[in-house]
Amino acid sequence: MNRREKENIIVSFWGVLLVLGASLLFAAVLIFLLSSEPLPAVKYFFTGPFLSRYFFGNMLDAAVPLIFTGLGISLAFKASLFNLGGEGQIYMGALVTTVVCLALPEFNGLAGGLTALAAGSLAAGLLAALSGYLKVKWNVDSMISSFLLSSAVVYGVNFFITGYFKDPSSSLLSTPFIDSRYFLPHLMNPSTLSTSIFFALGGAVIIYFLLYRTRWGYEMTMCGLNPEFARYGGVNVSSYVTMPFFLSGLMHGLGGGFAVLGTYHMSIKGFTSGMGWGGIAVALIAKNNPLGVIPAALFFAYLNAGSKAAMLHTDVTFEVAAVVEAFVFFFITSEVIFSFIRRKRRSLL
Amino acid sequence: MKLVHDAVTIMTPFLLAALGGLFTELAGTLNIALEGFMLIGAFFSIVFVSVTGSMLTGILLGVLITVIFAFIFGAVSLYLKTNIFITGLAANLMASGLTVVLSARFFGSKGVVTFSGLTPLKGLHSGYSFFVYTSWLLVVVSWFIIYHTAFGLRIRGTGIHPDAVSSLGLRPSQYKLAAILISGAACGLAGAMLTLNVSAFVPGITAGRGWIALVVIYLGDRTPWGILAASFIFGLSISFSNYAQGVLNLPADIILSFPYILTVAAMTVYQIYRIKRKGGGLQHR
Repeated sequence: MNRREKENIIVSFWGVLLVLGASLLFAAVLIFLLSSEPLPAVKYFFTGPFLSRYFFGNMLDAAVPLIFTGLGISLAFKASLFNLGGEGQIYMGALVTTVVCLALPEFNGLAGGLTALAAGSLAAGLLAALSGYLKVKWNVDSMISSFLLSSAVVYGVNFFITGYFKDPSSSLLSTPFIDSRYFLPHLMNPSTLSTSIFFALGGAVIIYFLLYRTRWGYEMTMCGLNPEFARYGGVNVSSYVTMPFFLSGLMHGLGGGFAVLGTYHMSIKGFTSGMGWGGIAVALIAKNNPLGVIPAALFFAYLNAGSKAAMLHTDVTFEVAAVVEAFVFFFITSEVIFSFIRRKRRSLL
Repeated sequence: MKLVHDAVTIMTPFLLAALGGLFTELAGTLNIALEGFMLIGAFFSIVFVSVTGSMLTGILLGVLITVIFAFIFGAVSLYLKTNIFITGLAANLMASGLTVVLSARFFGSKGVVTFSGLTPLKGLHSGYSFFVYTSWLLVVVSWFIIYHTAFGLRIRGTGIHPDAVSSLGLRPSQYKLAAILISGAACGLAGAMLTLNVSAFVPGITAGRGWIALVVIYLGDRTPWGILAASFIFGLSISFSNYAQGVLNLPADIILSFPYILTVAAMTVYQIYRIKRKGGGLQHR
């Protein structure tokens, strides 16, 4: 690593920290304005996730799908592609995983679980790849098409969960439970944290390796940085549009699949909602570095867990987390903030 | 005829949002925040109408709040030099979060909030609301501004060749910001129509209309008249699918997904057509 790269990393680090710090401050101000009992609300928001084993485990568990979606978004970003279809892709992956588990009760746990995950991630991958295909074939804007296709799919999945596959004996709008043989072992009872977190961490390492240590990852990054140059260098640029989209969808599908096998054990209407957008925020904070995705996902899981704790104990609504998340989105890509830090740093040295 | 009548009502929010988005589009910005602007307009218009007791004042205040929101979006993206797509997403997420948080705080509900006692603004005997006529007026106004004023020329110049605009001693970023404010005002109006038509605020009431409006801009070949035609075709197909729902007894979720599928299909067909005709197609990246 040369000096310049080192400086970039340090500047990114402080810049991200500045934005995240500002977002926490914003959260506190927001709660003060909205709550009639602001002091306990702020206290629960910030310390809630650490108050009990249950909250802490749930927070770690909530980071799992965000790691997967964050990785999926980072992959696409590396190829300069915006995958805005994460919401539909993770939901579809979750539903297909559930349905395959329900259809294959005679399998043993491992083989059946893997089949279900493969089917779920494949379905989500193909959904995302469609946007890439339309882009390559007819130059249809992939950002808009991925969003629109995903929105259509969200309604489609709603239809299956609340209609065709609905558990008639349940009052929830959900499918029946999958067989307990497919459940991933829990790690921190009574929380929902399961071994899915190891798959998420492993996924981050694999994607890191893929992007930084393989020819494929190098070529894809080149296509993202400068497609003309990559083409001149003999790279088949169009293959690095559909493929990154496919892999991005695949990661979202895995996120949905692990949410089913590890946490929910069924598909509930709207249960992955927000995880797709969260993945984009995570990728932005991580500056698309797959290993950076892990702490970034933990930060968002913390925000969500904090607002859940505040909601349980006080009059704050859960959506405060979404507003704080949006705040991070607003400023995280600001070049001005990052060049300001660069200048400050240089003047100090 | 009912089909056409419904189509005109359905198309109006698309038309208004797309007309606003046309300005940002011509100024060289793909404004994905239209959706969020509409949602802000939808929420604040009905709240202010209910608080002030006056339709016109309420709508104007709602539009004003939307313009302020658009200003924040524009100022952050232009002056803090953020990625405008990400900041656009931020605006959308902020709008959907903020409206729910405020609705929970002030109306004690995160779901549907109904407002009773509002007198709807109806047209004479046509049954179209005030918004429909306003949208038609705005088509003409937009056409005039874009093609017959110096301001319109500079907006277009900013999109085609920002350096040429700077060379005249003007600031392209100011014209971009102006375009964003215009899109905010138009989307505020579009949002106001959504809530005032049903006398209620529903979280996420915009249901992707801002995104579809973006595609309507393309399909309308980036002209006000084209957008009018494209919105009408959209309104007609949605009103037809609503009618089909009644006849075929389709599930609601399938009907809700229809506008999105239609939009992707229309966008694809349009690109194929453009490639056949001009050997290229519109693209942002």
